[in-house]
Amino acid sequence: MQPVICLRNVHVLFGTLCALDVESLEIGPGERVFLLGHSGAGKTTLSRLIKGRLHPSSGTVRVLGCDPATTDPARSRSIQRRTAMIDQEFYLVPRLSVVSNVLHGCLGRAPRWRSLLGWYTQAEWEKAEDILREVGLDGLGNRRVDTLSGGQRQRAAIARAFMQEAEIILADEPISNLDPQLAEEALDLLVECASRRGVTLVVNLHQPALAKRFASRLIGFASGKMVYDGPPDGFTDQDAEKVYRGSPRQPSPTEQGSHDPTSKDLEKKPTPPNIRLVRR
Amino acid sequence: MSAGPRFAEFFSRLVPPEWSVTQLIIHSTVETVMIALAGTALAVLAALPLGLMAASNISPPWISQPTKWLLGLIRSIPLIVVAILFVTAVGLGPFPGALAVAFHSIGMLGKFYAEEFETAEHGIINAVRGTGANWAQTVRYGLLPQAAPQVVAFTVYRFEMNFRDAAVLGLVGAGGIGYYIQLYVRGFQYEKVAVLLIVIIVVVTVLDQLTFWIRRWIR
Repeated sequence: MQPVICLRNVHVLFGTLCALDVESLEIGPGERVFLLGHSGAGKTTLSRLIKGRLHPSSGTVRVLGCDPATTDPARSRSIQRRTAMIDQEFYLVPRLSVVSNVLHGCLGRAPRWRSLLGWYTQAEWEKAEDILREVGLDGLGNRRVDTLSGGQRQRAAIARAFMQEAEIILADEPISNLDPQLAEEALDLLVECASRRGVTLVVNLHQPALAKRFASRLIGFASGKMVYDGPPDGFTDQDAEKVYRGSPRQPSPTEQGSHDPTSKDLEKKPTPPNIRLVRR
Repeated sequence: MSAGPRFAEFFSRLVPPEWSVTQLIIHSTVETVMIALAGTALAVLAALPLGLMAASNISPPWISQPTKWLLGLIRSIPLIVVAILFVTAVGLGPFPGALAVAFHSIGMLGKFYAEEFETAEHGIINAVRGTGANWAQTVRYGLLPQAAPQVVAFTVYRFEMNFRDAAVLGLVGAGGIGYYIQLYVRGFQYEKVAVLLIVIIVVVTVLDQLTFWIRRWIR
């Protein structure tokens, strides 16, 4: 089958640092790909590439047959709509209600003027209600997002992604702000909703155990390179060793002081896997 | 003569207030409020798009930088000078007063809006854009809801200030209560000045309370 995400000879450089070096990567429709690796290993860089928030320094990225970072407004809108992103910090609009945030998922499809007035069709409202029910936020639609708990915000962010009717959902450490039980529930929900729709899922995760449970394919990153790519069953302790071996990369002296604000991965403090479970 | 006794004499001449001018003064105070209101409203209409254009996080630098310069230029002209120019251009009365207030406020509000937009959480703007929203939708749903409380608070604050500014503009013939201020003070009719002061204090207090409620309402 035609891959939905396709990378060829991709390099991403932040200054002199090679944040990502992928010779070839293809992800097919409906796959549940979990990306593992230290902070700074290139996971976030890869999702930003796929979302089109970053241009590769060299090589080509194709998502659903298009360049995701295209500058053509119509193409860009369409590809943005078809790939949803769930960020670590959720990035919902705090002063708006849950249902308005979910309805933002229609913006890519709604006619310009109608959507600017805040009018949504009956069908769109019903769909939003259905999705809220599906993610377990029944009856919370009119609550303002800033009154929700962390777990509820996570669900609202998932609901917005599914409202978008995206074909690919990218999740960047979606559960690192939740406590262990909530984290597992949220991941379960995300995977279940995605499988039901046949959506391709690409998730960055710090917990190999959870990734092995939910993934159909694991990709391990170390220092910007893919060191494991295969089914979760084949992910042995040696592979884990390879992915998590050694200390996470420290910025070299030339890079310190000139932090690239776009390289989110690099700014985060390195944390060992399995420990980032505590709710902040 | 020393200042102390003169001051005392000035205050002694404020009483008793000459209440017969109350209606006239209330009428012109309302006119001043209207000048401030119309001026603020006009300024908001112009300052919102200018503020968006000047915000460097949503507009390209070749738009935002010149817009910032333009706003600075507008702010740099003192209000009283603007008022004199407008009175010269369109004649006496409240209309040039409102225009002058509007012109000056555009510079102030535009700069403030731009700065407020620039402090908005970029992740949220990106997230809304990431749903496939176009520029206008991104601004409408990702940016404005974040900036709304501060934008409203500053706008009503600017309205309060505009009332005080508009009260002075009558001095140069731009309508409102300022005309009577200079008329009575220069004519040594302090009993009428007393009424003026009382009306202004009442109006400012009422406006203050009103704007407080508006600010509390939008949070």
